[in-house]
Amino acid sequence: MNFELSSDRVTETSPLDETSLLVIILDTNPGQRILRENPHILTQCTDSVIAFANAHLMQKAQNKLAIMACHSKISEFVYPGPGKPLDIRQVDGQYEVFTLVEKTVKQNLMKVLTSETSTVYTESLLAGAIAMALCYIARILRTKTPGLKINSRILTVTGSSDSASQYMNYMNVFFTAQKQSVVIDVCALDQHLSLLQQGCDITSGLYLRIPQIQGLLQYLLWVFLPEPPVRQKLVLPPPVKVDYRAACFCHRELIDVGYVCSVCLSIFCKFSPICTTCQ
Amino acid sequence: MADDEDPKEYRWETGYEKTWEAIKEDDDGFLEASVAEIIQRAKRKRQQNKQVNSKLGMMRHLYVILDCSDAMSAQDLKPTRLLCTLKILENFIEEFFDQNPISQMGIIIMHNKRAEKICDLGGNFRKYIKTVNGLTKTALIGEPSLQNGLELALKSLKLLPSHASREILVIMGSLTTCDPSDINKTISSLKHEGVRCSVVGLAAEVHVCRQLANETGGVYNVILDDSHFKDLLYQQVDPPPAAVCLESSLIKMGFPHQMIVEGTEEPLTMCMCHVDSSEEGSKLTTGGYYCPQCYSKYCELPVECRSCGLTLVSAPHLARSYHHLFPAASYREMEFDNQSLNCFACQKVFLETDKQIYSCSNCEQYFCLDCDIFVHDILHTCPGCATNPTTFQMFQS
Repeated sequence: MNFELSSDRVTETSPLDETSLLVIILDTNPGQRILRENPHILTQCTDSVIAFANAHLMQKAQNKLAIMACHSKISEFVYPGPGKPLDIRQVDGQYEVFTLVEKTVKQNLMKVLTSETSTVYTESLLAGAIAMALCYIARILRTKTPGLKINSRILTVTGSSDSASQYMNYMNVFFTAQKQSVVIDVCALDQHLSLLQQGCDITSGLYLRIPQIQGLLQYLLWVFLPEPPVRQKLVLPPPVKVDYRAACFCHRELIDVGYVCSVCLSIFCKFSPICTTCQ
Repeated sequence: MADDEDPKEYRWETGYEKTWEAIKEDDDGFLEASVAEIIQRAKRKRQQNKQVNSKLGMMRHLYVILDCSDAMSAQDLKPTRLLCTLKILENFIEEFFDQNPISQMGIIIMHNKRAEKICDLGGNFRKYIKTVNGLTKTALIGEPSLQNGLELALKSLKLLPSHASREILVIMGSLTTCDPSDINKTISSLKHEGVRCSVVGLAAEVHVCRQLANETGGVYNVILDDSHFKDLLYQQVDPPPAAVCLESSLIKMGFPHQMIVEGTEEPLTMCMCHVDSSEEGSKLTTGGYYCPQCYSKYCELPVECRSCGLTLVSAPHLARSYHHLFPAASYREMEFDNQSLNCFACQKVFLETDKQIYSCSNCEQYFCLDCDIFVHDILHTCPGCATNPTTFQMFQS
């Protein structure tokens, strides 16, 4: 009898000790092609992301959530926002946390969008947003109760293209994520993102470029909702082979065999007696 | 014994240090916060000492010379000196290859007046960890011979091309060394070849080790306890400044990629890395990395091609080392005076207890102490600068 009780307790507590922290980075930069053509898409994306976030919270009561907006000039946490949480009463019998997420996200997102000034940078600085998310995750892990296991991941939803100018920042955040065992998932709405795809491969996350933006919520729920430990048991899109070839510094072309400087690690496609970067 | 080259005075000659006054109780009478603060201050100090944009020896060739003599069976480190060293060394190897992916390491052990090379220079860290784990059962006998160990390492470091950064790390438990001839000759030939020798002593300071480190431009430290040991060893993870005689030259490298032809199944092939290993033979598999020169297949990168000798790496491996060359801007420490409600990066709300906050000199954002350490130790990218288009552009140009 006693033995049964204790074994019961073990099965009861073990799933409780494991929770999941999800940080969603939503690219809200108005310079994205899809948003320039049809600004209403942002509303749809936001709704889908909120519904997805609520689905994540619904899976387990202890699951944690943070949502960030990556705008053209700033990246900000929209949930949990700065200051005190909003005062929410139950609406239509809906779980209060869901209402809180929706209200907070919409309110803070509006603040971010209205702060926009005339000059718009078309490039979204996603690497910086991921860096902030990693700091946030590091703090949550630092302050967690001992014994609690938190699986953390970052989901990036973006329609902008990635540019080589952020290469170093991207690599730094990818390797940090790998070290902290944070999984990076990427949902590309428009263009193919080769750098972020490498990040997914490094951190063993999923990369998906969705063919139809109307189905965003369905793709999110189908592919990105299951936690990484569960994913291996599911039939998900197969991992794509990632091209890890380097681009030479002189012509920016992908090369098979190149020459690397031993001091500054610049890559060249032709041999020269001295390195032009460090000398 | 007069220590001419070392101006540091002896401990008993220094002034009276009130070491206990550095530790203060907090409001609840606990010491933990105070001790944690001292550790974090030390970390910060070390970060600030890092030189920016100096030339670094990125392609490191490091020989770890491990003392396996009788002295290593002493139990002042728990459970024994050897077991404690091996455990720390194992973590060190992992960290070393994580931070220096295109570097190579070799291991030499000294026992019974002989030196034995148990691992040649190479880049496969799993092999080293396995070897180090296997060392737990080594018989700890006799005296070590520092000279034999150094000579053996020098013999193989000598053959390396001039662009390679050559290093030796000696972990010495014994206070004596039993050498066949004059060790000063070995030291001067090490100096001549530009080999940087660092020594970690487990017992007490030894003159010959101090001289070895001083002459060759390395560092010599004696450990206080196991956490200090770990700290000292981890200091060797960061690449050292390039030696004067280190030439920069361009090295031919291959960037393998998968052979995928649209519409066809990938061929089943065998890899070169397991082809002659008796434990796990080479299996027919798809995928893997193909040398662009001779098309041999490997399961893992970075590796040196066995058939044509080309170094095979992937672009992220190189990128992993860039942060040594372009570190994140260091932060200014300032008194907290309600400059900002919360930490820019982790959103922690600043309270009265946060006496100091940190500000980046480029993007002018405010950070907490934990984020300061995290950004400079692990992330190497300032979140403020990376999310701000103006500072980002400035950084690029």
